[in-house]
Amino acid sequence: MTFPYKGYAGKYLEVDLTKGKTIVKDMVKEWARLYLGGTGISSKILWERTGPETEPLSPENVLVVGTGPFTGVMFSPSGRMMFASKSPLTGIWAESHSGGFFGPEMKYAGFDLIVISGRSPRPVYLFLRDGEAELRDAQHLWGRETDVTTRMIREELRDPSIETAVIGPAGERQVLYGSVIIDFYRAAGRTGLGAVMGSKNLKGIAASGSLPLEAYDMEKYLEANRQEMEKLRDPLWAESLGSLRKYGTTDLVAIINEIGRLPTKNHWTGFYEHADDIGPEIIAERYRIAQEACHGCSIGCKYIYRVRDGRFASAPAGGPEYETLMAFGSNCLNNNIESIMYLGKRCDQLGMDTISCGKSIGFAMELWEKGILDASMTGGLELTWGNIDTMVELVEQIAKREGLGEVLSLGTRRAAEKFGGDAWRYAIHVKGLEASGQDPRAHQSVGLTYATNVRGADHLRSLSSLEELGYPEIVIERFGKEKADKILDIMSPDYKGELIWDMENLYALVDSAVICKYGTMWPPVYYYETFANVLPHLTGMTEWGDVAYVRQASRRIAHLRRAYNHRLGITRKDETLPHRLLKEAMPTGPAKGGLPDLDQMLDEYYDFRGCDKKTGFPKRERLMELGLDYVAEDLEARGMIAK
Amino acid sequence: MREFLTIDIDLCTGCRNCELACSVHHTSTFNPRRARIQVIRDEARNLVIPVVCLQCEHPLCMEACPTGALDYNEAGVLTVDEARCIGCGACVTACKYGGITLDPIERYAIKCDLCGGDPACVAACEYGAIQLVAADLDGLAIRDHNIARVATMLGIAQEEQQ
Ligand code: SF4
Ligand code: SF4
Repeated sequence: MTFPYKGYAGKYLEVDLTKGKTIVKDMVKEWARLYLGGTGISSKILWERTGPETEPLSPENVLVVGTGPFTGVMFSPSGRMMFASKSPLTGIWAESHSGGFFGPEMKYAGFDLIVISGRSPRPVYLFLRDGEAELRDAQHLWGRETDVTTRMIREELRDPSIETAVIGPAGERQVLYGSVIIDFYRAAGRTGLGAVMGSKNLKGIAASGSLPLEAYDMEKYLEANRQEMEKLRDPLWAESLGSLRKYGTTDLVAIINEIGRLPTKNHWTGFYEHADDIGPEIIAERYRIAQEACHGCSIGCKYIYRVRDGRFASAPAGGPEYETLMAFGSNCLNNNIESIMYLGKRCDQLGMDTISCGKSIGFAMELWEKGILDASMTGGLELTWGNIDTMVELVEQIAKREGLGEVLSLGTRRAAEKFGGDAWRYAIHVKGLEASGQDPRAHQSVGLTYATNVRGADHLRSLSSLEELGYPEIVIERFGKEKADKILDIMSPDYKGELIWDMENLYALVDSAVICKYGTMWPPVYYYETFANVLPHLTGMTEWGDVAYVRQASRRIAHLRRAYNHRLGITRKDETLPHRLLKEAMPTGPAKGGLPDLDQMLDEYYDFRGCDKKTGFPKRERLMELGLDYVAEDLEARGMIAK
Repeated sequence: MREFLTIDIDLCTGCRNCELACSVHHTSTFNPRRARIQVIRDEARNLVIPVVCLQCEHPLCMEACPTGALDYNEAGVLTVDEARCIGCGACVTACKYGGITLDPIERYAIKCDLCGGDPACVAACEYGAIQLVAADLDGLAIRDHNIARVATMLGIAQEEQQ
């Protein structure tokens, strides 16, 4: 039976690079019903096709390129897409999402998902157009930077409307945090999915489509869509949205520094005295030349900048986000904004995650300060804090995997193992993923988010903005009046287990739908009801109209991803924080003295998740009630189920 | 009174929601390629330019059409008579402004018909970049200004190319 639901393109593509084969298949009904799209369906596919024995950079690893039912159908803010695989950087669950225009284009080209396995004998790229797929020679593109690659693909196919997802030299050389770059300056940055593509000799994916997407009931869908948009237009959020349009995420430099959570000097502290030098006003005033938005988005957080002259002069390009400003800025004690813009742009061109790259450099700078690294080991480079020349050189070295860059291209966890001694103390990661721009010593629930996040130390799977920015009505509505005060207290660990459990569930859906965190994380407007309101009219899947069903699906996806990691050996002992963020009290700034109470929050989280507190393993009943019988069976056989 | 759409590219973010809304209005599907407003994007030169029919006073497209498929509807807006259009593309070649194109699926010409007076793209643009104005002196002045901006943008981009 063909795939019955609307909103989806209805087909997916199976690519075997070893054989050079592409097969168009009908989407699977159960995938949509139980896992919705994007992250959800990817977790089902990867659970079935990869496991403990899968080497991330081998032909056996599987890369899923996903969209969701919301992609390309005018829901704002959508316009996103995602990748999932087993990570070469962390060895566990990997997913990374990106905005831009590729996701919708892939659906107009006829595909909801692409499932890629094998390794091509020579470099190729995948081209999708109107329901057809073709593997094309990419020998001439190999070695090219991402922007040049995209331009060359558009030219050779004589189609300027082609959108792309490509890797750069870093991904080709399997830098463990190689990224996939979407449409020039948007990135699926984290967890090294660009290296997975590189290992498969897959230079990129290009799409151009003129196929229609339908709604099950167009009028009702548009009406539901309008109702949800109205929530976003509420005057309550006018200021938030106004700021996003004016500054994009760069505004976070100021907001986060104010609460003392801005990673500074390799996470030594959370307050940077020169924060004003790296955003947001200076960017808006001196460098910003235009606002941009992803496909169909009404928020428009992206901006274009230009540096007119000087050493870092640059043609117009997509501006650095908060995370990049942090990673190459405060994190390395570098207050030269033009250099940060340059480093961010180089990372996009070379195809590397700016967070892991900046964090690896900051880590090395601290090792230099502590005397663990010296000039004999750095090829003469001086790794003093804020040394711009060194940073510029290191970014190139990392992408080439040369000199000190060779070991830094492995990320901080593995680099620390190589350096030995006390180096591990300065590797700020969880489960192998370098920490993003937050600090749990200034915001308790961030600690739980980092510890439990299925991909490692990063905010995007469950960060709560509710207590950070203070939204009492929403907290009361979601968690009840009695808990509200404690939840709203950013430095109280109380009820944070429930809070983060709920956020993780919600974001699992957001990432499956596939929509942007703006609108759910900030402003916190869309909730489970949104999906229940919109999905039935869009897709025709009536069961999604029931909020209980929506919530259940969100927990199903969250559990499946966790189980994926358990099977690879992840237990409570890995769901922790780096020593510095757990044990060294915040030394300076507004959050001075702060430390997260991780154990208390973890206990509560495991309770809500239905997991054993000692191991973190799920309880059998919990999996059964979510329809994850096959997961229960597998974990049971491995002794990974809670009694 | 004749009316036309005019777009302020300084407000446009390139989100392409106008294309989506147009395709829903005219085809009941989401399919930007079938939209009568097209957002041309060239990231390498930082160019994002939405293109839509200018509703010319002396339409080059109409003049070029060999079958007389382009004619004014009851509301006085130049539209394509799909039954008479043979898909030859003469109008597309004749229009200097990219205002008319061939539908990639149906193969007949499509152009903006102002949605009967309440254009879907105007409502869909969250950034207020698209305006429906009367073809009077004020309207023409707005259009002149907006076109001049596109021209300078293109000029700057070209200069930088050299
Ligand atoms: S909807 Fe408005 S902002 Fe978006 S592309 Fe169209 S004109 Fe530009
Ligand atoms: S399609 Fe072109 S020539 Fe015809 S009225 Fe519109 S802008 Fe003028």
